[in-house]
Amino acid sequence: MKKNRFILLVIILVLSSCASNEYWKARIEVSQKPAVNLDKFKEIIIADFFVKEETKNFNINNELKDFFATELGQKLENKISSKKVPLEKEDIFKDEDFWKNLSVDEKESVLFTGSIQYSQETRKALIKKLKKEQESPFPSESKFAQRKFYTLHLEVYLIDTQTGKIVYKRNFKETKSYKNPNQTAYFAFFDLVKNLKDKLFAHMLGTKRTQERYIISN
Amino acid sequence: MTKKTIFSIILIVPLMFVISGCVSSLTQNQLSFGIQAAKKDLWDEAIFRWEKCLKSNPNSASAHNNLAVAYEKKGLLDKAKKEYDEALKISPGNKHIKSNYENFKKSRENTDDEKK
Repeated sequence: MKKNRFILLVIILVLSSCASNEYWKARIEVSQKPAVNLDKFKEIIIADFFVKEETKNFNINNELKDFFATELGQKLENKISSKKVPLEKEDIFKDEDFWKNLSVDEKESVLFTGSIQYSQETRKALIKKLKKEQESPFPSESKFAQRKFYTLHLEVYLIDTQTGKIVYKRNFKETKSYKNPNQTAYFAFFDLVKNLKDKLFAHMLGTKRTQERYIISN
Repeated sequence: MTKKTIFSIILIVPLMFVISGCVSSLTQNQLSFGIQAAKKDLWDEAIFRWEKCLKSNPNSASAHNNLAVAYEKKGLLDKAKKEYDEALKISPGNKHIKSNYENFKKSRENTDDEKK
């Protein structure tokens, strides 16, 4: 009887060791596909942006052009230049002839352009103060709080100068609220455009993403 | 059955388990060692261990899977695919291997398109 128990114990131990299903999640970096292949273009020309609503105190078009000229220059090996292209209507991006007939020095180039809308809004809300840890006999206070919201809409177009065709198009929208009622549109713009740039570059140029894989030990 | 036969069966069966356990524990050691190395980001060492593990036990789905992940990590995608295929052939129902392979396939489609 004792011997049988011993055999049973050995079998159970062996089976239980076989049945264990342990794993460890390893993190590996995998490159993601870029939405557009910019290697085939020798030059990226930053053109003007169609501004849907002018912003007081600063020229949003110029700021955007300078910002992307610097950021693209740091990120890519292509030649980056800037060009004045007056955009009079919003649907100009679909006009292939307009883009094809632009005089550019480098044939194999792409225009980086788009439309932009930058708006601000002040919202008021009744906010309850958080209760303190110890119980208070007084009712919790509520007060009106004011927040400044800035929203940046950017529609990015990449247009091949040889064909006039759109090679990349994508919409981006960034919103941020500020407690500071004196927050200026100029400073908020750079907060928003920086976030927007990260999303745009990750999609447009592709990026390395961390993925998980199972390492198994049974 | 005589008492002698019963007694010898009682002795032989656990002995077989012990022997097979020893062999599998050697393989298991290499597998575990590889995992420890991978956890410390020593992927070359991990590859060495898992390859060694496969030499003694070519039917270890875990070793094939782990090796595939290591190759993927090193950017050796063709080798990784071969190992994933092998792992799935041995253990087609393993959800972890299946998940790894699906993710591998998706990311490989992306990188292949990039090359084009």
